[in-house]
Amino acid sequence: MSRKYIAFVLVFLLTTIAAFPQPKDPALAKPFHYSLTLGSGWTHYFDNLDYGNQGLSKDFAGYSFRFLWEPEYRLSLGAETGIYTMFKIKSKSGAATPGDITRRVTPVFLLARMRIFDHFYLGTGFGLAFLTNSTNTDHQKIVTNTLSLSNYLFSASYIYPIGNRWQLGGEVKVFDFGAYNDWMYSLQVFGAFRF
Amino acid sequence: MDHLIMKTNIRYLTLYISAFMILAVSCNKVYDVPVPSVTNSILKGTKPLAAASKALTEGIYQVNTANSVFGDTLVVKWTRKSLSFACNNGIYFVLDAGSLNSDILLEGYWRDGYSDGTGLCTMTIAGAEGGNEIVNEIIPQQIIMRGAFGNGDGTPDQTFTLTYIRPFSDKVKNTKFNVLAHRGGGRTSDRLPVSENSIEMIDWTERLGSTGIEVDVRLTRDKVAFLYHDADINIRLAKKGPLSGDIEAYSWQELSKYVRLIHGEKIPTLEDALTFVINSTNLDFVYLDMKEDKEAMAVVIPIQQKMLKRALDKGRVMTIVVGIPSTAVLDDLKTYPDYQSIPSLCELTVEDVRTANSIVWAPRWTLGTQNDLVRQMHSEGKTAMCWTIDNPAWIRDYVNNGHFDGLLTNFPSVVTYYHYIQK
Repeated sequence: MSRKYIAFVLVFLLTTIAAFPQPKDPALAKPFHYSLTLGSGWTHYFDNLDYGNQGLSKDFAGYSFRFLWEPEYRLSLGAETGIYTMFKIKSKSGAATPGDITRRVTPVFLLARMRIFDHFYLGTGFGLAFLTNSTNTDHQKIVTNTLSLSNYLFSASYIYPIGNRWQLGGEVKVFDFGAYNDWMYSLQVFGAFRF
Repeated sequence: MDHLIMKTNIRYLTLYISAFMILAVSCNKVYDVPVPSVTNSILKGTKPLAAASKALTEGIYQVNTANSVFGDTLVVKWTRKSLSFACNNGIYFVLDAGSLNSDILLEGYWRDGYSDGTGLCTMTIAGAEGGNEIVNEIIPQQIIMRGAFGNGDGTPDQTFTLTYIRPFSDKVKNTKFNVLAHRGGGRTSDRLPVSENSIEMIDWTERLGSTGIEVDVRLTRDKVAFLYHDADINIRLAKKGPLSGDIEAYSWQELSKYVRLIHGEKIPTLEDALTFVINSTNLDFVYLDMKEDKEAMAVVIPIQQKMLKRALDKGRVMTIVVGIPSTAVLDDLKTYPDYQSIPSLCELTVEDVRTANSIVWAPRWTLGTQNDLVRQMHSEGKTAMCWTIDNPAWIRDYVNNGHFDGLLTNFPSVVTYYHYIQK
């Protein structure tokens, strides 16, 4: 499925949903207007490498941290960061180039999240991403850094309140990092503290 | 009130998401314009033309039809592999040729160097219109090429006729003028069929009329000189692979294993590239544009010297110069023993040219034709070329009114046109 098609479908869904205002639910009236969220889970890298992807590992653990301003019951704005391993390539024993290559990313995104239905949220974000490639050889470790300027994410979340201040949830996130056209998704569970 | 705030928020959010999505999907990468493919070649069964026959077809031709597309005149010139037509507007033709009885058949494609336009082209020089004489290596009374051009892979269906006007002038024949092609022969960003700074590009660029090339030289972590323009590995120049970031941080073994240029070619070492130039092309000038200014000369100059000797051994008259684009590179050169004996090209001031005893002065084209300084350099036994000039109007002006011995360009076919059209 092309990126344009996915984008079109998402725009269509979001604009359609946004076009139908929902009645304000008194139960959702918020005594707190900020939240901190910690999440962790499984990440998967979409392998679109054109070259050199023998021995590629694509599944790793990822961690995220999010701050949100929640001025009203529907819309939240904030920032998100995290630490993700995209992929790792391990050379086969006896290969001409020994060692392994790992690409990690730390996104720093501005985020907008919108409640769609009770407990269900959609979000989008954009911002910078710091890509780090580390190459381990027999002799030394080479680390290179790249600042990716054009990056975005889309997320879908289920949030369940436990008590007045705490929330638990699950989230699916899709990332695109522009510098090397890397795509990755993440399935995370998270806990949020509201204040 | 709350309802109003909510609706406003929704409107802003919708606008934000829509604008962001449009931004996200608008970056559509197109890396090349495919060379149109011939399905039923008209050249099947034809004989290759002899060198003398090829020479007879070269010259200036009038465009009788389709001159609104290709201009009023064309330069027709054989290159190492093909017959090329150069237009004044950046359009060029790359054609193969063969003779069938007394007719000469031409087949290939045209491409607009400044846009995506391309298409197939087939032409014939009938026996009665010069073909017979050319095949028999006799100076023809007239040459008329008749044929058609098309768009993309479509069958050529638009009439195209050329009439021979004159051979190249004595001034052109007797002047050594360098048509230097940038980045090994052409830029990847101009959507050429091969990648910049590759051996494949070096092999390809003569079709555009190039007589020399500029290549970008970098060093790997383990001090292997290789060709690559940018400081980092990126998906503009290279296929998406597992390495990223500063390209000079990697060893040659790592680059060789994990990086391929955008059209799939291997990154060449400087030594491999120069060996190819010497062994397999007619290019006679190579400008080594030094992208590294720390202890690079100690690596590059021995390769330059070795390759100059190889060219000499093969009987080739070649110029290979190390470039001096900055004072830092000049300082690096000065650390080399007997540095004034090293053939170099200096982009800095004429004083710096004298300091390095460079054989070529190469100022930036935006500084003007600087005819007085060029004459001064000539009087000191040096040549002068300027870089990197791409606009057809400026190329015309610099060829006609300047005294440079060559121009470095991303559009060598345009420089070829304006050089060879001179009377």
